[in-house]
Amino acid sequence: MSTGDYSIDIIGLLVALAMTALSAGVSALMRLGVGRSLLLAACRALLQLLAMGLILKAIIRSGNAWLVLALALVMLVAAVQITLSRAHGIPRGLGIPVLLTLAISMLVMVGVVAELIIRPTPWYAPQLLLPLTGMMLGNCVSAIAVAMTRFYESMDERRDDIGTMLALGATPWECARPSIVSSMALGLLPTVASLSSAGIVTIPGMMAGQVIAGGDPLEAAKYQFVVLTAIAALTLLADALIMTRIYRTCFTELDQFRPKGMRDQTSRRS
Amino acid sequence: MPSAAGPIVTRMSPNPDRPLLHAVGMTCVMPSSSGGTTLFRGLGLDLVAGSIVDLTGPSGSGKSSLLTALALLNPQASGSLSLDGRESPLVTPQEWRAAVMYLPQEPRLLGDTVAGTIRSPCGYAVRRPRGRRDRRTAALLDLLRRPHRRTSERGPSDSDIRGMLDSLGCTDVELDRPPHDLSGGQRARVALCRALLAHPRVLLADEVDAGLDDDSAELVGHSMTEAAALGMAVLRVRHRASDGLADRTLELRDGVLR
Repeated sequence: MSTGDYSIDIIGLLVALAMTALSAGVSALMRLGVGRSLLLAACRALLQLLAMGLILKAIIRSGNAWLVLALALVMLVAAVQITLSRAHGIPRGLGIPVLLTLAISMLVMVGVVAELIIRPTPWYAPQLLLPLTGMMLGNCVSAIAVAMTRFYESMDERRDDIGTMLALGATPWECARPSIVSSMALGLLPTVASLSSAGIVTIPGMMAGQVIAGGDPLEAAKYQFVVLTAIAALTLLADALIMTRIYRTCFTELDQFRPKGMRDQTSRRS
Repeated sequence: MPSAAGPIVTRMSPNPDRPLLHAVGMTCVMPSSSGGTTLFRGLGLDLVAGSIVDLTGPSGSGKSSLLTALALLNPQASGSLSLDGRESPLVTPQEWRAAVMYLPQEPRLLGDTVAGTIRSPCGYAVRRPRGRRDRRTAALLDLLRRPHRRTSERGPSDSDIRGMLDSLGCTDVELDRPPHDLSGGQRARVALCRALLAHPRVLLADEVDAGLDDDSAELVGHSMTEAAALGMAVLRVRHRASDGLADRTLELRDGVLR
């Protein structure tokens, strides 16, 4: 199962970068303003992917469980940072809840999918654990960032409703619930959409990669299904977890509503 | 609580010996770029059961801030509060607000129908019979119940609601009407109905009769009188001329309550 016939050389990489440069040019012509960030992101992606490829190669060759753990932790920390930067309008001090949520999702992913379903030997097989972790974190980062952004927006939009509910004796949870539900639904939309379209509209990246590498398409399909469903389920879990951790940041210790201005001024122990 | 559409109940004279709501040291500081503007500081207020107190004062003097502070809803306010001798930290904020209910100037009506919105407070955990579970578990279990079951099983009956709405002059408001269809005056009275049928011990009414015609305002005053007769303490923020129903009138001006 080698990619000997289909490997990409430096010319290929340059062509890919040239495509990006072309679309940046289109953006400049049409004054869309996204060309620069697209180019920068593409260069960043190239460097990060090549680096990841080299690191993975080295770790797989070494077969050291500690190195696997170390890389997983680096990925986790990076995921936390990316989530916090992608979410807009969130108060400070949410690093710990996001870290806990992503860590739990990661652990469940490894525990259930890697160890229970696939059962590799050795149990810490880097070529399995690290890509799985990466896919899990990637999906969770998007879902959580969207959900958190939408949650705080929704709470501020509903502040009059919340004021009335609090006055009638509702708890913070009872007030936050409608916002939590709508934010979670929004965060999960892409995940559900990709599940529905998998196989009929798209050949997802993982399956595509295995097929390109010469693997058996049926095996690849089974792998893809397991991974997609696990990611969907765990993203829901991660969304629910982060919501239960952060909803109280919209309220004071006396269960009074803190609108955006108040939230930005002082952080609150959640 | 008997239906409000009964005969007029004689007003019990208020008992001055023990205030129902006792507030001391009420202070409100609004944040500003210069560190904070004090709206009022160190105010004291006593509300006796069965009495109606009017609160007047110029716009912006802090009447609403004082009312929300009394209901523990105001994060910029502080002070010592006790209800029937029991200090506020001894109960949860929800229990306090169920007993000391603030009725905002422009309340939101949440629910699909008028009846649903009036019953909505009864669906909150604070008014459910307390089981042995803690609040968070109860809230999580509540998620599993279908929405319509949460509120329709408890709360005032249709006839209670109909009676109260009629006594407020809302005879043309059907129980299954969507709340967003109502006029401003109808909304204010539906919200008052919701508050009264939740049986608070103290009602803090923020300009409930602001957008009403004189007849409706009179009916609103009458229903507050009936509620007071049954022991409720009512604090009304009003800009209208006195209707003679209040036992006392206070004025909040320049941070001082007289």
